[in-house]
Amino acid sequence: MNTYNIMIAGVGGQGNLQCGAVLADATMEAGLRPVVGETFGASRRGGGVITHLRISEEHRGPLIPQREVDLMLGMEPLEALRASRDFAGQRTMTVMSDMRVETMDTLSGTRAYPSTEEIAACLRDLCGELYVISPAEAMDTLGTSRVLNAYMIGAGFCLGYMPLKRNHIRAALENMRGDTELNIRAFERGIEDAKSLTTRSDD
Amino acid sequence: MLGHNKSKTVLLSGNEAIARGALEGGVGFVASYPGTPSTGITTNLMRIADRFGMHVEWSTNEKVALEAAVGASWMGIPALCSMKSLGLNVAADFLLNVNLSGTGRGGIVIVVCDDPRGYSSSNEQDSRFYAEAAMIPLLEPSTPQEAKDLVKYALTLSSEKQVPVMIRSTTRLSHSRGVVVTNELTERDWTPLEMIPDDLYNVPTPHLKHRDLLAKLRGIADGFDKSKLNHLEPTGARDFTAICSGVSYMYAREVIERLGLTRRVGILHLTTTHPLPQSIINDTLERCERVLFLEEGSPFIEDATRVLATMLDGKRVTMYGKRSGHIPAYGEMTPDIVKGALQSILGIADDEVEAPSKDILERIDALLVPRPLTFCAGCTHRNAYWALTRIRKRLKGNLIVTGDIGCYSLGVFYHRIMSTMQAMGSGLGTANGIAQLKQFGLKTKTVAVAGDSTFYHACLPALINARHKNLDLTFLILDNSTTAMTGFQSHPGSEAQGESDERVEIADVVRGIGPDHLLIGDAQKVGATTNMLWDAVNKPGLKVVLLRGVCRLERRRQPELTVKKRVFVDPDLCQGVGCRVCVGEFGCFALVWDETEGAAVVDDDICVRCGACIEICPQGAIKEESE
Repeated sequence: MNTYNIMIAGVGGQGNLQCGAVLADATMEAGLRPVVGETFGASRRGGGVITHLRISEEHRGPLIPQREVDLMLGMEPLEALRASRDFAGQRTMTVMSDMRVETMDTLSGTRAYPSTEEIAACLRDLCGELYVISPAEAMDTLGTSRVLNAYMIGAGFCLGYMPLKRNHIRAALENMRGDTELNIRAFERGIEDAKSLTTRSDD
Repeated sequence: MLGHNKSKTVLLSGNEAIARGALEGGVGFVASYPGTPSTGITTNLMRIADRFGMHVEWSTNEKVALEAAVGASWMGIPALCSMKSLGLNVAADFLLNVNLSGTGRGGIVIVVCDDPRGYSSSNEQDSRFYAEAAMIPLLEPSTPQEAKDLVKYALTLSSEKQVPVMIRSTTRLSHSRGVVVTNELTERDWTPLEMIPDDLYNVPTPHLKHRDLLAKLRGIADGFDKSKLNHLEPTGARDFTAICSGVSYMYAREVIERLGLTRRVGILHLTTTHPLPQSIINDTLERCERVLFLEEGSPFIEDATRVLATMLDGKRVTMYGKRSGHIPAYGEMTPDIVKGALQSILGIADDEVEAPSKDILERIDALLVPRPLTFCAGCTHRNAYWALTRIRKRLKGNLIVTGDIGCYSLGVFYHRIMSTMQAMGSGLGTANGIAQLKQFGLKTKTVAVAGDSTFYHACLPALINARHKNLDLTFLILDNSTTAMTGFQSHPGSEAQGESDERVEIADVVRGIGPDHLLIGDAQKVGATTNMLWDAVNKPGLKVVLLRGVCRLERRRQPELTVKKRVFVDPDLCQGVGCRVCVGEFGCFALVWDETEGAAVVDDDICVRCGACIEICPQGAIKEESE
């Protein structure tokens, strides 16, 4: 198989690293070899976080080469755009959440946060495919935005072509710390919401 | 995940793998000082220390950590000391002595984690030159599996040769996860020797110790020459060979495969990079016409190989790397750099990947709002710096603030209130020089800032110097009772201490040195802090201001300590766009500008209800909700 490359782009505190850990664990469940590269620096202090996940039959380097991302999971619009600028290409499907995390400049009104439509227009030109998903309602129903990562995994799983099965990811979510049941509900809800964005049927 | 006894296939980060290797290698003593990207090694070992009867400690700094670890090795206990790149600068004085003296039968492995690109560091130094300077063996793993296996090997080598063995990781290995097959754990026995070995000093004949170390190193080089840790792929060399170490090896493999070059380009993968394995390198140089060096950091292997090549008879090999400009001499290695270099040298194109147009990149750049690092909502460091900005205003700008290493380093971005940031303890050290210039007529006031963990690590010599020289300066200690930046490691002054530890309080240490004034304040109170600092700065003499603060990330782990009352902006009192002191100047990101209302609002999800902003609003519009 070719290496399948997933990039997760978000902001510190969104559960980006856990998202990578779950997908890596699911890759192990599938009998494949994951490699996860984490770029977090001092992310806890509000910076961007990027996770590189390589799914392959052999050990790969921890960085996805530029323009070779297969699935970009954008946990946050601006960070999805920032990561896509450097890493996405015609091979890339981007699945982006439209829930914003403001920056110091946008909070203070120094700069405007670009509209989702402006960001999507750029991503449409840059990437092979783009799906913009709106998790707000699901997060409300689930009672916390802490499960955004599990939700986005569900959306990415439904829309993308991960070499993983639903039960691999469910098993990985069960191994994860925290509220397993809630994470699985968020994952399933992500799949459900994503289905409405496409005519393609999942497994 | 690390403490299992059996052979298993598991997913481990580079740091976890190093910790597991230490466990498999029978390490009994671990000492380090936290620093990204190395911290996880010790954190992981600390979690399982009791279960395996190991001693694992956070020492006050890297030099003390290395000294303690070598002390254990002298007494026969296998020891590990991990640190970030910059930490080795601190420990280097000892390292460049104990290499000559010898490290005893226990074995001591130094793991140094470099940070190319400086994701979490203030430089991107390549620490490998310390292995050369100290004349000690150096190993560079390229995967978590190799990292685990090499720690075990390094412990044996160190114990056998009685020299420190250095393992160099980089951010991309320490902070990546991969599949590792673990080995079973063996029986361990940590009975210390009754007596310290003889001759653990270099005087009066350090030159002879030097001679002996060089002989030892030649013996190690012979071993490395035969070692399977270095290998040529495929064994019959191509006329073009990429010579790689560390994660660069993984990038090289992938890129060569991806560009369909496996028949044209061979790989020499080096793991023992000091002393270099001469035979396999000479063999490679004899058989090929061109080589490309792929390594993270300085041209370390490249330079050593270029020297070796001068000793080869007649044969001339074309060499590409950082010296030739084919690989950037700064920043981290990436698969794209490897690809670019191979493409330009071999004159080949990549048909699979199309670069985006300049137009689309420009459109994206116009939209990208930066996301700089900031203090957390409610961080008391912000309060202290806010106070300093007020004082700078009152002094009409005549205030110099020298800074240090920690979360509070972000002060350089906070209205540029902090002007400098170099090594641990350098804020106060450089302030010693600036304050001394009063004798030449300098009128500007000097404030040096340091955090609590940094205080213990490296501030004491500079504080004693300031006292001894009777300097007129203010030393501001931002004490949040934890090593916050690296993930809340305890230090000698932390409120919570281990069972057998004794707390050493900053105030007691400072009193012992005897500044003219010691002022102790609460950084949660912005107004009082400003007044205290104003008072201190204007008093003559050596002033130490100890500000007790809170790490909100740490406190979040103890939610019962959070203030319960909601903080809100009274829209009737908010002066709107003409003021904006809270969002524009104070800059806590729980304070949000509401465009439609033309007023500030508090984001309840982010606000930690510390109430600091109540004091900074000139209109008194920010309020605490009554019960």
